[in-house]
Amino acid sequence: MSTVVRNLRVLRRMTAAQIVGASIYRGAWTIFMVANICVPIISLLIWRTAIANGARLPIDERYVTTYFVLLSFVTMATSSWMTGFLAEYIRLGRLSSWMVRPASVLLSFVANNLSEKVLKLIALVPMIGVLWWIFRDSMNIPAGPGRWTVFAVSIVLGAILVFTIDLLIGSLAFWMDDVTALAQARLIIASVLSGAVVPLALMPDWSRGFIDNQPFRFTVSFPVEIVAGNLSGQELLVGLGIQAGYVVVLGILARLVWSAGLRAYSAVGA
Amino acid sequence: MTRTMADDRRPLDASWLHRQRRHFRLWRRFLGQAVVRETHYRAHFATTLLVGLVELGLGVVPILLLFGFAQEVQGWSRAEVITLVGVYQIVTGLMAAFVAPNLQRMTSYITEGELDGVLLRPVSSQFYLTLRWINVAELSNVASGIAVLVIGLVQSGASPNAAQVLQAFVLAACGLVLLATVWSALAFLAFWLQSVGPIAYIYLNLVEAGRYPLAFFPVAVRAFLTFAFPVAFASTYPAQALAGDLGWTPVAGGVALVVVAVTLVRLLWRRGLRTYASASS
Repeated sequence: MSTVVRNLRVLRRMTAAQIVGASIYRGAWTIFMVANICVPIISLLIWRTAIANGARLPIDERYVTTYFVLLSFVTMATSSWMTGFLAEYIRLGRLSSWMVRPASVLLSFVANNLSEKVLKLIALVPMIGVLWWIFRDSMNIPAGPGRWTVFAVSIVLGAILVFTIDLLIGSLAFWMDDVTALAQARLIIASVLSGAVVPLALMPDWSRGFIDNQPFRFTVSFPVEIVAGNLSGQELLVGLGIQAGYVVVLGILARLVWSAGLRAYSAVGA
Repeated sequence: MTRTMADDRRPLDASWLHRQRRHFRLWRRFLGQAVVRETHYRAHFATTLLVGLVELGLGVVPILLLFGFAQEVQGWSRAEVITLVGVYQIVTGLMAAFVAPNLQRMTSYITEGELDGVLLRPVSSQFYLTLRWINVAELSNVASGIAVLVIGLVQSGASPNAAQVLQAFVLAACGLVLLATVWSALAFLAFWLQSVGPIAYIYLNLVEAGRYPLAFFPVAVRAFLTFAFPVAFASTYPAQALAGDLGWTPVAGGVALVVVAVTLVRLLWRRGLRTYASASS
Protein backbone atom coordinates (compact mmCIF):
# COMPACT_ATOMS: atom_id res chain seq x y z
CA MET A 1 0.00 0.00 0.00
CA SER A 2 1.44 3.35 -0.94
CA THR A 3 2.43 5.78 1.79
CA VAL A 4 0.03 8.46 0.63
CA VAL A 5 -3.01 6.19 0.78
CA ARG A 6 -1.99 4.87 4.19
CA ASN A 7 -1.45 8.40 5.54
CA LEU A 8 -4.83 9.50 4.20
CA ARG A 9 -6.51 6.58 5.95
CA VAL A 10 -4.74 7.44 9.21
CA LEU A 11 -5.74 11.09 8.76
CA ARG A 12 -9.38 10.14 8.19
CA ARG A 13 -9.46 7.98 11.32
CA MET A 14 -7.71 10.61 13.45
CA THR A 15 -9.97 13.39 12.21
CA ALA A 16 -13.10 11.36 12.96
CA ALA A 17 -11.81 10.53 16.44
CA GLN A 18 -10.91 14.15 17.15
CA ILE A 19 -14.32 15.38 15.98
CA VAL A 20 -15.93 13.10 18.54
CA GLY A 21 -13.52 14.31 21.22
CA ALA A 22 -13.84 17.99 20.42
CA SER A 23 -17.64 17.94 20.12
CA ILE A 24 -17.76 17.62 23.91
CA TYR A 25 -16.79 21.31 23.91
CA ARG A 26 -19.48 22.35 21.41
CA GLY A 27 -20.71 25.10 23.73
CA ALA A 28 -17.20 26.54 23.89
CA TRP A 29 -16.85 26.50 20.07
CA THR A 30 -20.11 28.38 19.72
CA ILE A 31 -19.00 31.04 22.21
CA PHE A 32 -15.61 31.33 20.45
CA MET A 33 -17.36 31.93 17.14
CA VAL A 34 -19.66 34.56 18.65
CA ALA A 35 -16.52 36.32 19.92
CA ASN A 36 -14.81 35.93 16.53
CA ILE A 37 -17.59 37.62 14.65
CA CYS A 38 -17.68 40.70 16.94
CA VAL A 39 -14.74 42.65 15.52
CA PRO A 40 -15.71 42.18 11.83
CA ILE A 41 -19.21 43.43 12.70
CA ILE A 42 -17.76 46.48 14.49
CA SER A 43 -15.53 47.23 11.46
CA LEU A 44 -18.47 46.73 9.10
CA LEU A 45 -20.60 49.27 10.97
CA ILE A 46 -17.74 51.80 11.22
CA TRP A 47 -16.87 51.73 7.53
CA ARG A 48 -20.52 51.88 6.46
CA THR A 49 -20.94 54.97 8.64
CA ALA A 50 -17.84 56.51 7.04
CA ILE A 51 -19.28 55.91 3.56
CA ALA A 52 -22.69 57.27 4.58
CA ASN A 53 -20.88 60.39 5.84
CA GLY A 54 -19.36 60.99 2.43
CA ALA A 55 -15.89 59.50 2.95
CA ARG A 56 -14.47 58.95 -0.54
CA LEU A 57 -13.15 55.38 -0.33
CA PRO A 58 -11.59 53.56 -3.28
CA ILE A 59 -14.18 50.80 -2.69
CA ASP A 60 -17.96 51.04 -2.50
CA GLU A 61 -20.47 50.07 0.16
CA ARG A 62 -21.19 46.69 -1.43
CA TYR A 63 -17.51 45.73 -1.36
CA VAL A 64 -17.14 46.79 2.30
CA THR A 65 -20.28 44.93 3.38
CA THR A 66 -19.51 41.69 1.54
CA TYR A 67 -15.90 41.88 2.73
CA PHE A 68 -16.70 42.07 6.45
CA VAL A 69 -19.59 39.61 6.32
CA LEU A 70 -17.32 36.96 4.78
CA LEU A 71 -14.20 37.95 6.74
CA SER A 72 -14.74 35.91 9.91
CA PHE A 73 -15.62 32.83 7.83
CA VAL A 74 -12.45 33.01 5.72
CA THR A 75 -10.23 33.90 8.69
CA MET A 76 -11.50 30.86 10.54
CA ALA A 77 -11.38 28.54 7.52
CA THR A 78 -7.73 29.36 6.80
CA SER A 79 -6.57 29.60 10.43
CA SER A 80 -4.06 27.41 12.23
CA TRP A 81 -3.13 27.36 15.92
CA MET A 82 -0.35 24.82 15.88
CA THR A 83 2.77 26.92 16.62
CA GLY A 84 2.52 26.96 20.41
CA PHE A 85 1.56 23.29 20.68
CA LEU A 86 4.25 22.13 18.24
CA ALA A 87 6.91 24.15 20.08
CA GLU A 88 5.77 22.56 23.35
CA TYR A 89 5.94 19.04 21.84
CA ILE A 90 9.52 19.75 20.78
CA ARG A 91 10.64 21.48 23.97
CA LEU A 92 9.15 19.01 26.44
CA GLY A 93 10.11 15.95 24.43
CA ARG A 94 6.57 14.84 23.72
CA LEU A 95 7.65 14.52 20.10
CA SER A 96 9.71 11.43 21.02
CA SER A 97 6.71 9.15 21.38
CA TRP A 98 5.46 10.24 17.96
CA MET A 99 8.77 9.39 16.31
CA VAL A 100 8.29 5.68 16.96
CA ARG A 101 4.75 5.70 15.60
CA PRO A 102 3.93 4.83 12.00
CA ALA A 103 2.56 8.31 11.25
CA SER A 104 3.98 11.80 11.54
CA VAL A 105 3.01 14.06 14.43
CA LEU A 106 2.15 16.65 11.79
CA LEU A 107 -0.66 14.39 10.60
CA SER A 108 -2.23 14.62 14.06
CA PHE A 109 -1.99 18.41 13.88
CA VAL A 110 -3.72 18.34 10.48
CA ALA A 111 -6.43 16.11 11.96
CA ASN A 112 -6.84 18.50 14.89
CA ASN A 113 -7.07 21.45 12.51
CA LEU A 114 -9.70 19.79 10.30
CA SER A 115 -11.82 18.46 13.17
CA GLU A 116 -12.00 21.76 15.04
CA LYS A 117 -12.82 23.58 11.82
CA VAL A 118 -15.75 21.25 11.15
CA LEU A 119 -17.23 22.08 14.55
CA LYS A 120 -16.46 25.79 14.30
CA LEU A 121 -18.11 25.87 10.84
CA ILE A 122 -21.28 24.36 12.24
CA ALA A 123 -21.38 27.18 14.81
CA LEU A 124 -20.25 30.00 12.54
CA VAL A 125 -22.20 29.44 9.32
CA PRO A 126 -25.66 30.17 10.81
CA MET A 127 -24.33 33.43 12.30
CA ILE A 128 -22.85 34.48 8.95
CA GLY A 129 -26.19 33.56 7.40
CA VAL A 130 -28.06 35.91 9.73
CA LEU A 131 -25.56 38.69 9.07
CA TRP A 132 -25.86 38.10 5.32
CA TRP A 133 -29.65 38.26 5.55
CA ILE A 134 -29.54 41.55 7.50
CA PHE A 135 -27.29 43.16 4.89
CA ARG A 136 -28.71 41.23 1.89
CA ASP A 137 -29.43 44.43 -0.05
CA SER A 138 -25.81 45.50 -0.15
CA MET A 139 -24.04 42.18 -0.67
CA ASN A 140 -22.08 41.34 -3.80
CA ILE A 141 -23.12 37.89 -4.92
CA PRO A 142 -21.17 36.55 -7.89
CA ALA A 143 -23.33 34.91 -10.53
CA GLY A 144 -22.61 31.34 -11.54
CA PRO A 145 -20.59 28.63 -9.82
CA GLY A 146 -17.27 29.72 -11.39
CA ARG A 147 -16.26 32.34 -8.83
CA TRP A 148 -17.46 30.22 -5.91
CA THR A 149 -15.27 27.33 -7.09
CA VAL A 150 -12.26 29.61 -7.30
CA PHE A 151 -13.20 30.96 -3.85
CA ALA A 152 -13.20 27.43 -2.43
CA VAL A 153 -9.88 26.52 -4.09
CA SER A 154 -8.33 29.73 -2.81
CA ILE A 155 -9.50 29.03 0.76
CA VAL A 156 -7.92 25.58 0.65
CA LEU A 157 -4.65 27.07 -0.64
CA GLY A 158 -4.84 29.80 2.01
CA ALA A 159 -5.35 27.21 4.76
CA ILE A 160 -2.31 25.24 3.56
CA LEU A 161 -0.29 28.47 3.47
CA VAL A 162 -1.18 29.43 7.07
CA PHE A 163 -0.47 25.90 8.28
CA THR A 164 2.93 25.99 6.55
CA ILE A 165 3.86 29.33 8.15
CA ASP A 166 2.80 27.89 11.53
CA LEU A 167 4.98 24.85 10.92
CA LEU A 168 7.96 27.03 9.98
CA ILE A 169 7.73 29.12 13.15
CA GLY A 170 6.93 26.17 15.42
CA SER A 171 9.92 24.24 14.01
CA LEU A 172 12.27 26.96 15.20
CA ALA A 173 11.70 25.45 18.67
CA PHE A 174 14.24 22.80 17.62
CA TRP A 175 16.89 25.50 18.01
CA MET A 176 15.26 28.19 20.19
CA ASP A 177 14.06 27.82 23.78
CA ASP A 178 11.04 30.04 23.44
CA VAL A 179 9.19 30.90 20.25
CA THR A 180 6.23 32.57 22.01
CA ALA A 181 7.38 36.12 21.31
CA LEU A 182 8.06 35.25 17.67
CA ALA A 183 4.63 33.62 17.30
CA GLN A 184 2.99 36.67 18.88
CA ALA A 185 4.87 39.06 16.57
CA ARG A 186 3.79 37.00 13.56
CA LEU A 187 0.14 37.09 14.67
CA ILE A 188 0.20 40.86 15.03
CA ILE A 189 1.91 41.42 11.67
CA ALA A 190 -0.42 38.94 9.97
CA SER A 191 -3.55 40.59 11.34
CA VAL A 192 -2.74 43.78 9.44
CA LEU A 193 -1.07 42.38 6.33
CA SER A 194 -3.72 39.68 5.79
CA GLY A 195 -6.55 42.20 5.66
CA ALA A 196 -8.17 40.91 8.86
CA VAL A 197 -8.25 44.41 10.40
CA VAL A 198 -8.80 46.69 7.42
CA PRO A 199 -9.46 45.69 3.78
CA LEU A 200 -6.13 45.86 1.96
CA ALA A 201 -7.85 47.93 -0.74
CA LEU A 202 -7.90 50.81 1.78
CA MET A 203 -4.12 50.76 2.34
CA PRO A 204 -2.31 53.88 1.07
CA ASP A 205 -1.13 54.05 -2.55
CA TRP A 206 2.59 54.10 -1.73
CA SER A 207 2.28 50.63 -0.17
CA ARG A 208 0.38 49.06 -3.11
CA GLY A 209 3.16 47.04 -4.74
CA PHE A 210 4.22 45.50 -1.44
CA ILE A 211 0.72 44.98 0.00
CA ASP A 212 -0.61 43.23 -3.12
CA ASN A 213 2.21 40.72 -3.39
CA GLN A 214 3.21 39.84 0.18
CA PRO A 215 2.26 36.32 1.34
CA PHE A 216 -0.18 37.31 4.09
CA ARG A 217 -2.60 38.80 1.54
CA PHE A 218 -3.11 35.28 0.23
CA THR A 219 -4.05 33.88 3.65
CA VAL A 220 -7.26 35.92 4.09
CA SER A 221 -7.75 38.94 1.87
CA PHE A 222 -7.39 37.28 -1.54
CA PRO A 223 -10.12 34.66 -1.05
CA VAL A 224 -12.50 37.35 0.25
CA GLU A 225 -11.62 39.65 -2.67
CA ILE A 226 -12.67 36.91 -5.09
CA VAL A 227 -16.27 37.23 -3.90
CA ALA A 228 -16.41 40.83 -2.63
CA GLY A 229 -14.27 42.61 -5.20
CA ASN A 230 -14.19 43.08 -8.89
CA LEU A 231 -11.01 41.19 -9.74
CA SER A 232 -10.79 40.68 -13.50
CA GLY A 233 -10.31 37.20 -14.89
CA GLN A 234 -6.64 37.91 -15.40
CA GLU A 235 -6.09 39.29 -11.88
CA LEU A 236 -7.81 36.17 -10.57
CA LEU A 237 -5.47 33.85 -12.46
CA VAL A 238 -2.35 35.82 -11.50
CA GLY A 239 -3.51 35.87 -7.85
CA LEU A 240 -4.11 32.12 -7.78
CA GLY A 241 -0.72 31.63 -9.41
CA ILE A 242 1.06 33.71 -6.77
CA GLN A 243 -0.88 31.95 -4.01
CA ALA A 244 0.06 28.51 -5.34
CA GLY A 245 3.65 29.73 -5.73
CA TYR A 246 3.81 30.77 -2.06
CA VAL A 247 2.34 27.41 -1.03
CA VAL A 248 5.02 25.53 -2.98
CA VAL A 249 7.97 27.70 -1.93
CA LEU A 250 7.05 27.91 1.76
CA GLY A 251 6.06 24.23 1.70
CA ILE A 252 9.53 23.22 0.48
CA LEU A 253 11.16 25.55 3.01
CA ALA A 254 9.06 24.14 5.88
CA ARG A 255 9.87 20.60 4.77
CA LEU A 256 13.63 21.37 4.81
CA VAL A 257 13.50 23.12 8.19
CA TRP A 258 11.37 20.36 9.70
CA SER A 259 13.68 17.54 8.59
CA ALA A 260 16.78 19.47 9.62
CA GLY A 261 15.11 20.02 12.99
CA LEU A 262 14.27 16.34 13.41
CA ARG A 263 17.92 15.49 12.80
CA ALA A 264 19.01 18.08 15.37
CA TYR A 265 16.38 16.91 17.89
CA SER A 266 17.63 15.64 21.21
CA ALA A 267 14.74 15.79 23.59
CA VAL A 268 14.41 15.89 27.29
CA GLY A 269 14.13 12.26 28.31
CA ALA A 270 15.01 10.94 24.85
CA MET B 1 -11.61 28.29 81.43
CA THR B 2 -10.96 27.08 77.87
CA ARG B 3 -12.15 29.17 74.99
CA THR B 4 -13.47 27.43 71.90
CA MET B 5 -14.33 28.57 68.39
CA ALA B 6 -17.99 28.46 69.36
CA ASP B 7 -17.56 31.26 71.90
CA ASP B 8 -18.56 34.78 71.06
CA ARG B 9 -15.64 36.80 69.77
CA ARG B 10 -15.02 40.41 69.10
CA PRO B 11 -15.95 41.06 65.44
CA LEU B 12 -12.98 41.56 63.10
CA ASP B 13 -14.21 45.00 62.08
CA ALA B 14 -15.71 47.51 64.45
CA SER B 15 -17.69 49.23 61.69
CA TRP B 16 -18.44 49.21 57.99
CA LEU B 17 -15.74 51.84 57.47
CA HIS B 18 -13.14 49.74 59.28
CA ARG B 19 -14.02 46.86 57.02
CA GLN B 20 -13.44 48.95 53.87
CA ARG B 21 -10.16 50.26 55.27
CA ARG B 22 -8.97 46.74 56.08
CA HIS B 23 -9.76 45.61 52.54
CA PHE B 24 -7.94 48.60 51.11
CA ARG B 25 -4.86 47.81 53.22
CA LEU B 26 -5.05 44.23 51.97
CA TRP B 27 -5.24 45.41 48.37
CA ARG B 28 -2.13 47.55 48.91
CA ARG B 29 -0.33 44.38 50.05
CA PHE B 30 -1.48 42.59 46.87
CA LEU B 31 -0.06 45.47 44.85
CA GLY B 32 3.24 45.47 46.73
CA GLN B 33 3.58 41.73 46.24
CA ALA B 34 2.77 42.03 42.53
CA VAL B 35 5.46 44.68 42.07
CA VAL B 36 8.04 42.48 43.78
CA ARG B 37 6.99 39.51 41.63
CA GLU B 38 7.25 41.58 38.47
CA THR B 39 10.88 42.50 39.22
CA HIS B 40 11.68 38.79 38.99
CA TYR B 41 10.28 38.54 35.49
CA ARG B 42 11.79 41.48 33.68
CA ALA B 43 11.51 39.81 30.27
CA HIS B 44 7.76 39.50 30.84
CA PHE B 45 7.61 43.22 31.53
CA ALA B 46 9.55 44.04 28.35
CA THR B 47 7.39 41.72 26.21
CA THR B 48 4.14 43.13 27.62
CA LEU B 49 5.39 46.67 27.02
CA LEU B 50 6.40 45.91 23.42
CA VAL B 51 3.24 43.95 22.56
CA GLY B 52 1.13 46.72 24.15
CA LEU B 53 2.80 49.40 22.05
CA VAL B 54 2.42 47.42 18.82
CA GLU B 55 -1.24 46.68 19.59
CA LEU B 56 -1.86 50.33 20.34
CA GLY B 57 -0.26 51.28 17.02
CA LEU B 58 -2.37 48.68 15.22
CA GLY B 59 -5.51 49.89 16.91
CA VAL B 60 -4.88 53.36 15.53
CA VAL B 61 -4.33 52.11 11.94
CA PRO B 62 -8.05 51.90 11.00
CA ILE B 63 -8.64 55.39 12.43
CA LEU B 64 -5.70 56.93 10.57
CA LEU B 65 -6.83 55.24 7.35
CA LEU B 66 -10.44 56.30 7.90
CA PHE B 67 -9.53 59.95 8.37
CA GLY B 68 -7.35 59.77 5.27
CA PHE B 69 -10.64 59.53 3.34
CA ALA B 70 -12.73 62.01 5.34
CA GLN B 71 -12.11 65.20 7.34
CA GLU B 72 -14.89 64.53 9.79
CA VAL B 73 -17.20 61.61 10.54
CA GLN B 74 -20.45 62.20 12.47
CA GLY B 75 -19.01 65.39 13.95
CA TRP B 76 -15.78 63.78 15.14
CA SER B 77 -12.38 64.97 13.87
CA ARG B 78 -9.28 62.79 13.76
CA ALA B 79 -7.72 64.49 16.79
CA GLU B 80 -10.88 63.96 18.87
CA VAL B 81 -10.94 60.27 18.00
CA ILE B 82 -7.26 60.01 18.99
CA THR B 83 -8.15 61.56 22.37
CA LEU B 84 -10.87 58.92 22.67
CA VAL B 85 -8.40 56.12 21.87
CA GLY B 86 -6.16 57.47 24.65
CA VAL B 87 -8.99 57.26 27.21
CA TYR B 88 -9.92 53.78 25.94
CA GLN B 89 -6.32 52.63 26.27
CA ILE B 90 -6.08 53.92 29.85
CA VAL B 91 -9.31 52.24 30.99
CA THR B 92 -8.62 48.92 29.24
CA GLY B 93 -5.04 49.02 30.55
CA LEU B 94 -6.36 49.37 34.12
CA MET B 95 -8.79 46.51 33.48
CA ALA B 96 -5.98 44.31 32.17
CA ALA B 97 -3.78 45.19 35.16
CA PHE B 98 -6.23 44.86 38.05
CA VAL B 99 -9.29 42.86 36.99
CA ALA B 100 -8.50 40.58 34.03
CA PRO B 101 -5.87 38.41 35.82
CA ASN B 102 -8.57 37.47 38.35
CA LEU B 103 -11.60 36.86 36.19
CA GLN B 104 -9.53 34.72 33.84
CA ARG B 105 -8.97 32.35 36.79
CA MET B 106 -12.66 32.01 37.62
CA THR B 107 -13.02 28.62 35.92
CA SER B 108 -10.23 27.09 37.97
CA TYR B 109 -11.46 28.72 41.19
CA ILE B 110 -14.76 26.93 40.78
CA THR B 111 -13.95 23.69 38.98
CA GLU B 112 -10.79 22.95 41.00
CA GLY B 113 -12.46 23.90 44.26
CA GLU B 114 -9.90 26.65 45.01
CA LEU B 115 -12.84 28.78 46.09
CA ASP B 116 -13.02 26.66 49.28
CA GLY B 117 -9.75 28.17 50.45
CA VAL B 118 -11.00 31.68 49.74
CA LEU B 119 -14.30 31.23 51.58
CA LEU B 120 -12.45 30.28 54.75
CA ARG B 121 -10.49 33.54 54.85
CA PRO B 122 -11.55 36.54 56.88
CA VAL B 123 -12.10 38.62 53.76
CA SER B 124 -14.95 39.40 51.38
CA SER B 125 -14.71 36.52 48.94
CA GLN B 126 -16.04 38.56 46.02
CA PHE B 127 -13.39 41.22 46.66
CA TYR B 128 -10.69 38.55 46.83
CA LEU B 129 -11.79 36.80 43.64
CA THR B 130 -12.06 40.03 41.66
CA LEU B 131 -8.95 41.89 42.81
CA ARG B 132 -6.42 39.44 44.28
CA TRP B 133 -4.04 39.21 41.31
CA ILE B 134 -2.42 42.21 39.65
CA ASN B 135 -0.47 42.28 36.39
CA VAL B 136 1.83 45.25 36.94
CA ALA B 137 3.32 45.11 33.43
CA GLU B 138 -0.05 46.09 31.94
CA LEU B 139 0.31 49.49 33.59
CA SER B 140 2.72 50.35 30.78
CA ASN B 141 -0.37 50.43 28.54
CA VAL B 142 -1.91 53.00 30.86
CA ALA B 143 1.21 55.13 30.43
CA SER B 144 1.05 54.88 26.63
CA GLY B 145 -2.67 55.68 26.84
CA ILE B 146 -1.90 58.91 28.71
CA ALA B 147 0.64 59.81 26.00
CA VAL B 148 -1.96 59.22 23.26
CA LEU B 149 -4.54 61.23 25.21
CA VAL B 150 -2.16 64.19 25.47
CA ILE B 151 -1.31 63.99 21.75
CA GLY B 152 -5.03 63.97 20.92
CA LEU B 153 -5.77 66.94 23.17
CA VAL B 154 -2.88 69.00 21.76
CA GLN B 155 -3.85 68.19 18.14
CA SER B 156 -7.51 69.03 18.66
CA GLY B 157 -6.59 72.26 20.47
CA ALA B 158 -8.96 71.41 23.31
CA SER B 159 -8.36 73.16 26.61
CA PRO B 160 -10.71 71.54 29.13
CA ASN B 161 -11.32 73.44 32.36
CA ALA B 162 -11.23 71.85 35.81
CA ALA B 163 -14.93 70.91 35.79
CA GLN B 164 -14.60 69.18 32.42
CA VAL B 165 -11.53 67.25 33.56
CA LEU B 166 -13.46 66.17 36.65
CA GLN B 167 -16.40 65.07 34.48
CA ALA B 168 -14.06 63.05 32.26
CA PHE B 169 -12.37 61.49 35.28
CA VAL B 170 -15.65 60.47 36.94
CA LEU B 171 -17.03 59.11 33.66
CA ALA B 172 -13.89 57.07 32.98
CA ALA B 173 -14.00 55.72 36.55
CA CYS B 174 -17.65 54.74 35.95
CA GLY B 175 -16.58 53.09 32.70
CA LEU B 176 -13.91 51.09 34.51
CA VAL B 177 -16.30 49.92 37.22
CA LEU B 178 -19.06 49.15 34.71
CA LEU B 179 -16.76 47.08 32.49
CA ALA B 180 -15.48 45.27 35.57
CA THR B 181 -19.02 44.46 36.71
CA VAL B 182 -20.09 43.27 33.26
CA TRP B 183 -17.08 40.99 32.99
CA SER B 184 -17.58 39.82 36.60
CA ALA B 185 -21.19 38.97 35.82
CA LEU B 186 -20.06 36.96 32.79
CA ALA B 187 -17.33 35.25 34.82
CA PHE B 188 -19.67 34.44 37.72
CA LEU B 189 -21.78 32.42 35.27
CA ALA B 190 -19.10 29.82 36.02
CA PHE B 191 -21.22 28.83 39.04
CA TRP B 192 -23.78 27.44 36.61
CA LEU B 193 -21.74 26.75 33.46
CA GLN B 194 -18.55 25.39 35.09
CA SER B 195 -16.24 26.60 32.31
CA VAL B 196 -16.26 30.29 31.38
CA GLY B 197 -12.83 30.47 29.70
CA PRO B 198 -14.31 31.25 26.25
CA ILE B 199 -16.61 33.94 27.69
CA ALA B 200 -13.56 36.13 28.30
CA TYR B 201 -13.08 36.19 24.52
CA ILE B 202 -16.55 37.63 24.03
CA TYR B 203 -15.72 40.41 26.48
CA LEU B 204 -12.30 41.07 24.89
CA ASN B 205 -13.76 41.25 21.38
CA LEU B 206 -16.82 43.32 22.27
CA VAL B 207 -14.75 45.87 24.17
CA GLU B 208 -12.99 46.72 20.88
CA ALA B 209 -16.11 48.71 19.98
CA GLY B 210 -14.84 51.29 22.50
CA ARG B 211 -12.09 52.33 20.11
CA TYR B 212 -14.67 54.28 18.11
CA PRO B 213 -17.10 57.04 19.09
CA LEU B 214 -20.62 55.90 19.88
CA ALA B 215 -21.90 58.12 17.06
CA PHE B 216 -20.21 55.81 14.52
CA PHE B 217 -22.73 53.06 15.28
CA PRO B 218 -26.42 52.64 14.40
CA VAL B 219 -28.85 53.76 17.13
CA ALA B 220 -29.69 50.26 18.39
CA VAL B 221 -26.00 49.43 18.78
CA ARG B 222 -25.43 52.73 20.64
CA ALA B 223 -28.06 51.76 23.20
CA PHE B 224 -26.40 48.37 23.60
CA LEU B 225 -22.96 49.94 24.07
CA THR B 226 -24.30 52.39 26.67
CA PHE B 227 -26.59 50.27 28.84
CA ALA B 228 -25.94 46.56 28.22
CA PHE B 229 -22.20 46.56 27.52
CA PRO B 230 -21.36 50.07 28.77
CA VAL B 231 -18.02 50.60 27.01
CA ALA B 232 -19.27 54.08 25.99
CA PHE B 233 -18.44 55.28 29.52
CA ALA B 234 -14.89 54.06 29.08
CA SER B 235 -14.20 56.08 25.93
CA THR B 236 -16.86 58.17 24.17
CA TYR B 237 -18.27 60.07 27.17
CA PRO B 238 -14.95 61.01 28.82
CA ALA B 239 -13.60 62.13 25.43
CA GLN B 240 -16.72 64.27 24.87
CA ALA B 241 -16.35 65.75 28.36
CA LEU B 242 -12.75 66.74 27.58
CA ALA B 243 -13.92 68.36 24.32
CA GLY B 244 -16.36 70.34 26.45
CA ASP B 245 -19.64 69.23 24.86
CA LEU B 246 -21.09 67.26 27.73
CA GLY B 247 -23.08 68.40 30.75
CA TRP B 248 -23.36 66.85 34.20
CA THR B 249 -26.41 64.76 33.21
CA PRO B 250 -24.39 61.88 31.67
CA VAL B 251 -22.11 61.95 34.72
CA ALA B 252 -25.10 61.49 37.00
CA GLY B 253 -26.40 58.79 34.66
CA GLY B 254 -23.07 57.00 34.79
CA VAL B 255 -22.98 57.04 38.60
CA ALA B 256 -26.58 55.78 38.75
CA LEU B 257 -25.74 53.00 36.31
CA VAL B 258 -22.75 52.03 38.47
CA VAL B 259 -24.98 51.73 41.55
CA VAL B 260 -27.45 49.52 39.66
CA ALA B 261 -24.73 47.38 38.09
CA VAL B 262 -22.79 46.85 41.34
CA THR B 263 -25.99 45.90 43.17
CA LEU B 264 -26.96 43.43 40.45
CA VAL B 265 -23.54 41.79 40.31
CA ARG B 266 -23.50 41.54 44.11
CA LEU B 267 -26.88 39.73 43.98
CA LEU B 268 -25.62 37.45 41.22
CA TRP B 269 -22.55 36.61 43.30
CA ARG B 270 -24.71 35.69 46.33
CA ARG B 271 -27.02 33.55 44.19
CA GLY B 272 -23.99 31.85 42.65
CA LEU B 273 -22.33 31.22 45.98
CA ARG B 274 -25.46 29.44 47.20
CA THR B 275 -25.23 26.97 44.31
CA TYR B 276 -21.53 26.31 44.95
CA ALA B 277 -21.00 22.82 46.27
CA SER B 278 -17.19 22.64 46.29
CA ALA B 279 -15.20 20.49 43.91
CA SER B 280 -12.52 18.98 46.08
CA SER B 281 -13.87 17.80 49.40
